[in-house]
Amino acid sequence: MEQKAPLTASKLPLWTLATAFFAVLIFVFPQLGVQLVYDRAAIIHGEIWRLFSGNFVHFSLAHLCYNLAAWFITGSIIELRGYRFFPALCLLSSIIIGMIIFMLAPELNLYAGLSGIVSSAVTYLCLHGIGEKGIWRWLCSGMLAGLIAKTVIEMVTGSSMMLLMSEENFVPVPLSHLAGIVTAFIFFVFLRMSSYFRHYSR
Amino acid sequence: MKRSSFSIFFVYVALLFSFALMGGCASGKTKHATSVVDYLFPKTKDPIVTPGIPVLTLPLRVGIAFVPSASGMDMRSGRTSTGFTPFQGGGELALTEKRKTDLMLEVALNFKKYAFVKNIELIPSAYLTPGGSFANLDQIRTMLELDVIVLLSYDQVQFTDQTLNFTYWTMNGPLIVPAQKNDTHTMLDAVVYDISSRKMLFRAPGTSLVNGESMLVDQSQEIRADADRGFSEAAQSMIINLDGQLAQFKEKLKERPEEYKVVRSESYLLRIGGGGGGGSVDIVMLIMLIGLGVYFLWNKRHP
Repeated sequence: MEQKAPLTASKLPLWTLATAFFAVLIFVFPQLGVQLVYDRAAIIHGEIWRLFSGNFVHFSLAHLCYNLAAWFITGSIIELRGYRFFPALCLLSSIIIGMIIFMLAPELNLYAGLSGIVSSAVTYLCLHGIGEKGIWRWLCSGMLAGLIAKTVIEMVTGSSMMLLMSEENFVPVPLSHLAGIVTAFIFFVFLRMSSYFRHYSR
Repeated sequence: MKRSSFSIFFVYVALLFSFALMGGCASGKTKHATSVVDYLFPKTKDPIVTPGIPVLTLPLRVGIAFVPSASGMDMRSGRTSTGFTPFQGGGELALTEKRKTDLMLEVALNFKKYAFVKNIELIPSAYLTPGGSFANLDQIRTMLELDVIVLLSYDQVQFTDQTLNFTYWTMNGPLIVPAQKNDTHTMLDAVVYDISSRKMLFRAPGTSLVNGESMLVDQSQEIRADADRGFSEAAQSMIINLDGQLAQFKEKLKERPEEYKVVRSESYLLRIGGGGGGGSVDIVMLIMLIGLGVYFLWNKRHP
């Protein structure tokens, strides 16, 4: 954090705002949500965009608000810090999360929520932060360790320990968080390796 | 006072008390009632309506209506009165259209909290013909696009007993004011029908007993107020019972899936998140992120 922001840093987190706007738009128009939600049966019948778009649909206002709060914080820091390829990470993780759920959770008929992408973004932010100096590095290390530990516990127990929306009528899907984290790790390593090889080839 | 005058006065007082006691023997009953059976199965000795298997497509479009009086009778003829009913004008129309709408609204507000209810239509009495049966319900279903209807009926009996008399001593002698004791028994009954299959899903009654007292001069006003209070209390009781019966019905749906078919539309599933999974941020993650965000902002201002 003590390092200066890269030159690519933007003054406004445009991608974060655009994504949030898209999620709110879907929530405001439920008929749009019906067409975009992850629906296993519809995906089998060829509506494969739902694998990607389901991440932006939300079941309730509380569901939307909590996910957007986390999304705003993470996305804004990433964009204001100027960490590159954030939109690419979001698109990639949203597709991979949908595909992982489709393959590994056949019992799920419906899935919705941005938290998988939020997990991916948090991982990406922390991996970048670990490479920096000072308190920020330790904060990011702690955050990443906490996120991984939490996700592992969720996977083992099969539920979220401290879900904010206890009254909601849907089951939490820690698999989407794990998929997001793994995608961010692979994406980050790929970027570092390609950067290294480019540097080495020169 | 002379002996003869005293005797006349004594006889006068005794007569007054006698009249008062005679008044205590007088009693009356007023009844207002409508019946779901009369509406759905009019003039049918052996009603043969074979209900099908209801297909409940969630969310449901629900209608609420008061059933009209029996075939060939209007509101007024649906009333039967016997015995002593002096100044009874106030109790003639047990439920006005406005009062019916208010009561239906109370039921509707209670139903609106359920996610499986898409919308609720309050159906005016004019839409229901006396003895209209399922043919009438089919018309309403087509007109208002309903799946399920809540048919409300009522039975209110008011007993009036002239048992208490108030005696006032005036300058001209005693004045005896006859007083009334009024009991109002009310029952509201809600029957929930799936219109297309003609199957009753569940029912819930609500009862009330209002004990009132009044003087003859304001009896009609008191009786009207008691009748109104009776309906309000019965409606509250019915709404509580409706919730209970609905919970039991939900259990029945799970236990006997062969008797009821429930179809959950995609929009309904999306609305309740039922059977689905949600990617949701938990409190631990949110607190950690807020901490990170606060440090980021602080560091930006104090580099």
